[in-house]
Amino acid sequence: MAHAGEAAAIEQAVSRRLAAFARAQQIRLALVWVGLAAALGWLFARFRFDYGFMVGWAAFLVRGVPITIGVSVVSITLALVLGLVAALGRLSGNPVAHGVATFYTSFIRGTPLLVQVYLIYLGLPQLGIVLDAIPSGVAALSINYGAYIAEIIRAGILSVGRGQVEAALSLGMTRTQVMRRIVLPQALRVVVPPVGNEFIAMLKDSALVSVMGVWELTFRATKVGRQYFRSLEMLVFAAAIYWGLTILFSTLQSRVEGRLARAYER
Amino acid sequence: MNGEPIIQVRGLHKFYGRLHVLRGVNLDVRRGEVVVIIGRSGAGKSTFLRCLNYLEEPSAGTVVVDGIPLPSGERAARAWSQVRQVRMRVGMVFQEFNLFAHMTALENVIEGPLTVRGMPRDQAVALGERLLAKVGLLDKRDVHPARLSGGQKQRVAIARALAMEPRIMLFDEPTSALDPELIGEVLAVMRDLARDGMTMVVVTHEMGFAREAAHRVIFMDAGEFVEEGPPEQIFTAARDPRTRQFLTHVL
Repeated sequence: MAHAGEAAAIEQAVSRRLAAFARAQQIRLALVWVGLAAALGWLFARFRFDYGFMVGWAAFLVRGVPITIGVSVVSITLALVLGLVAALGRLSGNPVAHGVATFYTSFIRGTPLLVQVYLIYLGLPQLGIVLDAIPSGVAALSINYGAYIAEIIRAGILSVGRGQVEAALSLGMTRTQVMRRIVLPQALRVVVPPVGNEFIAMLKDSALVSVMGVWELTFRATKVGRQYFRSLEMLVFAAAIYWGLTILFSTLQSRVEGRLARAYER
Repeated sequence: MNGEPIIQVRGLHKFYGRLHVLRGVNLDVRRGEVVVIIGRSGAGKSTFLRCLNYLEEPSAGTVVVDGIPLPSGERAARAWSQVRQVRMRVGMVFQEFNLFAHMTALENVIEGPLTVRGMPRDQAVALGERLLAKVGLLDKRDVHPARLSGGQKQRVAIARALAMEPRIMLFDEPTSALDPELIGEVLAVMRDLARDGMTMVVVTHEMGFAREAAHRVIFMDAGEFVEEGPPEQIFTAARDPRTRQFLTHVL
């Protein structure tokens, strides 16, 4: 009995020390962030910003946020659909599907997003197809990101073991059922973290569609900035908003990942 | 154990590229019969078993399961509906369990009935619970495979195969991936199945199981059935020197 008491005391002491260490590490981390933020603030202070001007245009700028988020959410959703179709095409034995999928990913990944934006913005009207600014922006972003997401989904599908497929087939499932019920749900866990990264990248790449005249964050920032010769103020302001959005969505992303990992915890 | 054989295999060959893995195998399995295939690794046992539900495509020969011929060899137009008909009648248990990692034990068991047989959910759940109880794992119904022991995983895998109410069960080295102390629980479930009259084809290294539960033991070597007979004959009076040599190593 004496031994048991002793062991419990040691265990308590050890866990106390570990908790104290973890807390100290967190404080150090926070201090580093505060220090770096201060340094950045000092740098910006030397730019002699007109803060009154920034505050005055804040509401105008912030009205771009829902458009930035909206364009990004719709585009990532369409990109997922495109990516899934392209990934299945690449994995299929059908030479036409395979050829279309590889051509698509090769062309899109081989050319700059800005060029693709202009192709849609300036090229499509030449063919008599005139889209509004927002649909054009969504088309450019989703076609571009679909090609990258196709590779992510392909890797996710390939990460599901052969044994899972064989077990499902031997129950009598069709290939479609195996894909839908067994492979894709398991691929999802592998696919979500990188797709989350793609979404966060897209939040900022959506700035490129400002050249099409979509009234999102960057468009508003450059418009006001140019008009009053205060471009840097407005761009830094927009950058701060992008950063805030990124932190917000990164937090959401890690929550989703945690939920998906639950089934695999021992 | 009478009437037409439920499995008929004639002249089965399998090539992997130039490697000749099955060299003209013939087999008839009667309803309710328990056939155990033994032999060293690489003899072609698993490949043969996997040809019975078309996880491997035979290179030549015929396989007829429960009256349904499986496509083979040169036949270009593959009869997928026939393949699926056979797979629905044949349960398979794998060495590595292959439980669906994203599903609980119960979800694993009811997946076949729900998706393949189109059974209503409440009916499938009742069936699944009955089968989990049969393999002694009803208390694990909501647990994911990652939290089950190897023996428990394999018992869930057996329940999953049984949920399709198969006429034949194939076991591909079901205990080879298990820690020694967990083998017994899986073999017990298999013995129960055999006693209930299930037709079974079992590839295993468990000679004790072969001796007790098999009606017929087949010794396989280098892609051929070398010798077959009732267990007492194979284990005590094998005729072929290759069989005797193998048995002196494993017994």
